Amino acid sequence: MKAVRFSQVNIGDELAPVEHIVSQAVIDRYAVASLDYNPVHTDIDWCKRARVFGTPETVGHGMYTMSLMASVILRNWSAAFARVRSIEAKFTKPVEVGSLLRCFGRVKELHPIAPGKNFVLVELKAVDKAGEPMALGFAEVMLPD
Amino acid sequence: MMETANRLAQHFATEKQRKFESNFLRDAQIYETWNEVEIGRSFQGKQKFKVMEEDVLSYNKAMEETDLLLIDAAYATENSPTKELIQHPLFVVKVAFYCIENGPGSWIRSPGAKNPGQKIEILEPFKIGETISMTVTPIDRWIRRGKHYITDKLDFRNESRIHKATWWLTLIIPPNREEILKFAQM
Repeated sequence: MKAVRFSQVNIGDELAPVEHIVSQAVIDRYAVASLDYNPVHTDIDWCKRARVFGTPETVGHGMYTMSLMASVILRNWSAAFARVRSIEAKFTKPVEVGSLLRCFGRVKELHPIAPGKNFVLVELKAVDKAGEPMALGFAEVMLPD
Repeated sequence: MMETANRLAQHFATEKQRKFESNFLRDAQIYETWNEVEIGRSFQGKQKFKVMEEDVLSYNKAMEETDLLLIDAAYATENSPTKELIQHPLFVVKVAFYCIENGPGSWIRSPGAKNPGQKIEILEPFKIGETISMTVTPIDRWIRRGKHYITDKLDFRNESRIHKATWWLTLIIPPNREEILKFAQM
């Protein structure tokens, strides 16, 4: 993938979406990769009893959703050159097992600070199959000059 | 519980994953609780994290990345500007859970916890071979609409004390031990 340069990016540019179905296998794999074994994600029987989010189902990790939001940047702009220097997200709805998660990015601000320090602010959004927001966020991304 | 453990074990790919306790209900008796945390007092994380290639690879693969710079170590060695695998920006999540384990900041593992939102700053990506230490500083706790929020500031440094990342980690957690144990014993 070719590096996208700061000068090539414009406010309003849309990044191609990334979507995954959050199956139990996806949740399990993320639990193992992140070492976050909270039973609300992994323990199917416990979730039926505890109903932490009101549902008897497991839910995906918020940090998985946030990671997928960051993946929008990695997959649109070369991961080798576009460096996410900060990212924040608010989670608006739990992602029940089996849900489709679709993540979008849009360039919101350009910050032409100085060569080697320029960055863009990308607005990030994760929605479900019906288009309901699951998470909203921003990332500051440094791009080559 | 055994069924869950067996299901998860199918995905183990690293030494840390094989050794890390996957039953978060087991130590609920000793986790920090919302009402007991001392705001402003810093602690070192219980564990240090030595960054291995397999750690980076397993996180990138869990995110189903396909760029060879993220999933093929040999290709990355030849073609990456850093001459090693490129890390997913949220790799720090794994470092945090490993360093906290069941020590300072262990409320992150609370059964019954909810994640309202997070903020992470990456000053410099971790490098393979570095040993990362984490400082945990509880910076705020508050109640809103009957929910108990808490924020720890997690600072990650390498063995040369170079500041690599900060995570403002916020969760809604049960307010006390009794409530945590109710969830743990369900």
